[in-house]
Amino acid sequence: MSESAIITTNNVNLWYNGKQALESVSMKIPKNKVTALIGPSGCGKSTLLRCFNRLNDLIDHVKITGEITLDDKNIHESGTDVVMLRKKVGMVFQKPNPFPKSIYENVAYGPRVHGLKNNNQLDAIVEQSLRHAALWDEVKDRLNDSALGLSGGQQQRLCIARTLAVEPEVILMDEPCSALDPIATAKIENLIDLLKQDYTVIIVTHNMQQAARVSDFTGFMYLGKLIECGKTVQIFEHPKEELTENYITGRFG
Amino acid sequence: MVQFTKNIPDLSIASKRPALSSLIKEQAIKTVFFITAFFAVIVVIFILLFLLRDGYAIFVDVGIIPFLFGTTWAPTAVEPLYGILPLIVGTLLVTLGAIVFAVPLSIGCAIYVSELASTRVKNVLKPAIELLAGIPSVVYGFFGLVVLTDFIRVTFDVPSGETWLAASILLGIMALPTIISVSEDAISAVPHEFREGSLAIGATRWQTISRVLVPAALSGIAAAIILGIGRAIGETMAVLMVAGNAAVIPEPIWNVLSPVRTLTATLGIEMGEVSVGSQHYNALFGIAIVLLVITLIINLAAVAILHRLKEGQAAGSHQKPLIPLTLKEPLVRIVKLLLGASLVIFLFFAAPWYFAALILFVLGALYFGWDHLSQKYVEKISFGIVAAAAFIVLAILVIILGYIVIKGLPAISWEFLTQPPKDLGRAGGIYPAIVGTLYLVAGAILIALPLGVGAAIYLVEYTREGRITRLIRNGVDLLNGTPSIVFGLFGFAFIVLYLTVGVSLLAGQVTLALMILPTVIRTTEESLKNIPPSLREGSLALGATRWQTISKVVIPPAVPGIVTGAILCIGRAAGETAPIMFTAVVFSSRFLPDSVFDPVMALPYHLFILATNVPGASANMYGTALVLLILVVGMYAVAITVRHHFQKKSRG
Repeated sequence: MSESAIITTNNVNLWYNGKQALESVSMKIPKNKVTALIGPSGCGKSTLLRCFNRLNDLIDHVKITGEITLDDKNIHESGTDVVMLRKKVGMVFQKPNPFPKSIYENVAYGPRVHGLKNNNQLDAIVEQSLRHAALWDEVKDRLNDSALGLSGGQQQRLCIARTLAVEPEVILMDEPCSALDPIATAKIENLIDLLKQDYTVIIVTHNMQQAARVSDFTGFMYLGKLIECGKTVQIFEHPKEELTENYITGRFG
Repeated sequence: MVQFTKNIPDLSIASKRPALSSLIKEQAIKTVFFITAFFAVIVVIFILLFLLRDGYAIFVDVGIIPFLFGTTWAPTAVEPLYGILPLIVGTLLVTLGAIVFAVPLSIGCAIYVSELASTRVKNVLKPAIELLAGIPSVVYGFFGLVVLTDFIRVTFDVPSGETWLAASILLGIMALPTIISVSEDAISAVPHEFREGSLAIGATRWQTISRVLVPAALSGIAAAIILGIGRAIGETMAVLMVAGNAAVIPEPIWNVLSPVRTLTATLGIEMGEVSVGSQHYNALFGIAIVLLVITLIINLAAVAILHRLKEGQAAGSHQKPLIPLTLKEPLVRIVKLLLGASLVIFLFFAAPWYFAALILFVLGALYFGWDHLSQKYVEKISFGIVAAAAFIVLAILVIILGYIVIKGLPAISWEFLTQPPKDLGRAGGIYPAIVGTLYLVAGAILIALPLGVGAAIYLVEYTREGRITRLIRNGVDLLNGTPSIVFGLFGFAFIVLYLTVGVSLLAGQVTLALMILPTVIRTTEESLKNIPPSLREGSLALGATRWQTISKVVIPPAVPGIVTGAILCIGRAAGETAPIMFTAVVFSSRFLPDSVFDPVMALPYHLFILATNVPGASANMYGTALVLLILVVGMYAVAITVRHHFQKKSRG
């Protein structure tokens, strides 16, 4: 990959309770592109994604070796501020998880926890983030309603807006459409396309058409190993590895 | 005579129709269970009926308004006055103080246990909180009387430490376990996605806790506080022993060092001395009615909130928040104001000046410095405060247990355990009291267990949720929320007088049984519900009848849960004083009861009398407290261990 990399992993291994979930994963995530991670269930793609914002720290008995750098800085270095890391690396989850607060408060939550108090600025950020997430027109008249009253697709876009509000550099998406219907999925996919102008997006998906549609680069994972990664066109049309080809063509046992 | 019959197994099932007798048997079993379940409703009706029967006269004679809002309670004056306003105010003030004391501590502790504590710390804290719930109220009262009131008397330099403050602190401690465990459940139940979502945005753990988790658990915490209030309002013995019991409204109203008298304490003090059928007697039942109404409203509110919460969780995340979003802000503000006001009153009125100055300084520094602190320090300070709350709760338990063990141990001897009391309990032992308590508890559990288990089986196995189950469940909830002193009054009016059983072992056993019945029902229900439906279906699909399925497949694995519940009930019954005070016990009897119609001695009552009415019984007083504590806390420890053991086993 010729583009400049924002995240680099070097020989990353990860164990849950002594069971290895990632095995010497080395890859580069190019800046301002969409990178898709594909592979069968349990192959470690979500685990890898959660390494990038150190969300695996929440789970007991996790051991990680190897090196992950963001902007050339090791994120596991002692003295790394996890909070600042997560501000830079936002995340959208599989199931929409808006907080049980109003729509406005959901988006304002991030800026608030990072110390913003000015209401005018907050208003501006909320509007901008909701516009950016293509949700503004649908909710602008009911910002003070509970976020839990939105549809699943709207909730997911709200979660994206919530992530955008803290102005991250990287957005991690963990199967963001798996709980959504086709129309809502299409909206999110369009949104991802727009987002890459300003952000680096890493998306985990088990839907290969989706990976082909939205991503510039693709990594294929199997049993905790990164089998192959490269330009999406190349991975889907001329995979180098037989495993990749078998998976993409659906011949998988 | 033994009869031998040859049973040749008949395997031609296809041709066999169910015998009429077996159908009748099934129906009969179902009917029996229905009756046991409906029993709770009948008891509630009887309680209401008998309280009204003996209490309505006072509302007629004095009038409802003068009774409720009269400012003088002087039932034994030449011209008796029956105004219970000071008692209502006393109850409210004591409860308010308890809540101010208990709520911050409980929520801090709940946050610590559910979010911060390591597994090992949790394994110490959770049983400790349960043990705190197990200490009998008379032991709390005793501790309050000998330690807390003395501490207040010296610290604040007042003539007597028996004050509103003492009662509030003591009740606060007693309300801690309820509030902690219910709020902890609520916080733990907040979906994990909220935590991840918040942390992924770059919120600190403390921001996640304070801005997402606690607000999301607010309904559950509200229910916890209401349950705590219910517990505090219904408490008799502990309050009676430390509140000073002057039927006055504090002057000025925020004087926490004034003695107060609660509704429950009035019943506890005067019920034993009143002549049956007099106007005073009616007035006491009138008080019981008022008390019952207050506690019922409070408990039903808590139950309703918790119930809605459960339904909401089952229905998924699309529930409407219980407290509308627009209301949350003002509510939070009111709570803050209340806490602030109580703190100010406490500081200016009660605390020594240097202490007040220190607290004001720290609070002021925090208030003005908070915004300038980095989130890291905010988090550190907050975690420190939360951990301190948990530590204080643990320390309270250690202090109470430690104090009673150290002071009580020297009094314990073989003679103490096997001899009757002498010289009004100053010398001699407590053998009849130990035996009496064991008799009372054994009888109570023998009565309550079949009724409660039957009711639970009916509710879980035989019916769908409908109007009748709702009625029964409401009955159980009402019974559960009834203050123990009201059970005492009911037992006295109904069993002792109306059924002319007299003050006796039997009357005490029945009264205690009624009191623990709701707990038996609830714990049995829980353990039955834990049995997966597939087991029942498997058995029914083989052609087994309902009763065969229940008795052979459902009940055996539920037994550990039922036994645990029963042990907890035994512990509770052994420590109760209020229900047996007027129905079963005498002080200083040298003899054991000959039959269930004789009165008995009991440990909690013996301790109560030694502590309040017999000067110079110091050694035996501590000894009695220790024996009672060992008995009750021992039961709880056994129950907790049994449950833990089987939980482990079922997890494999």
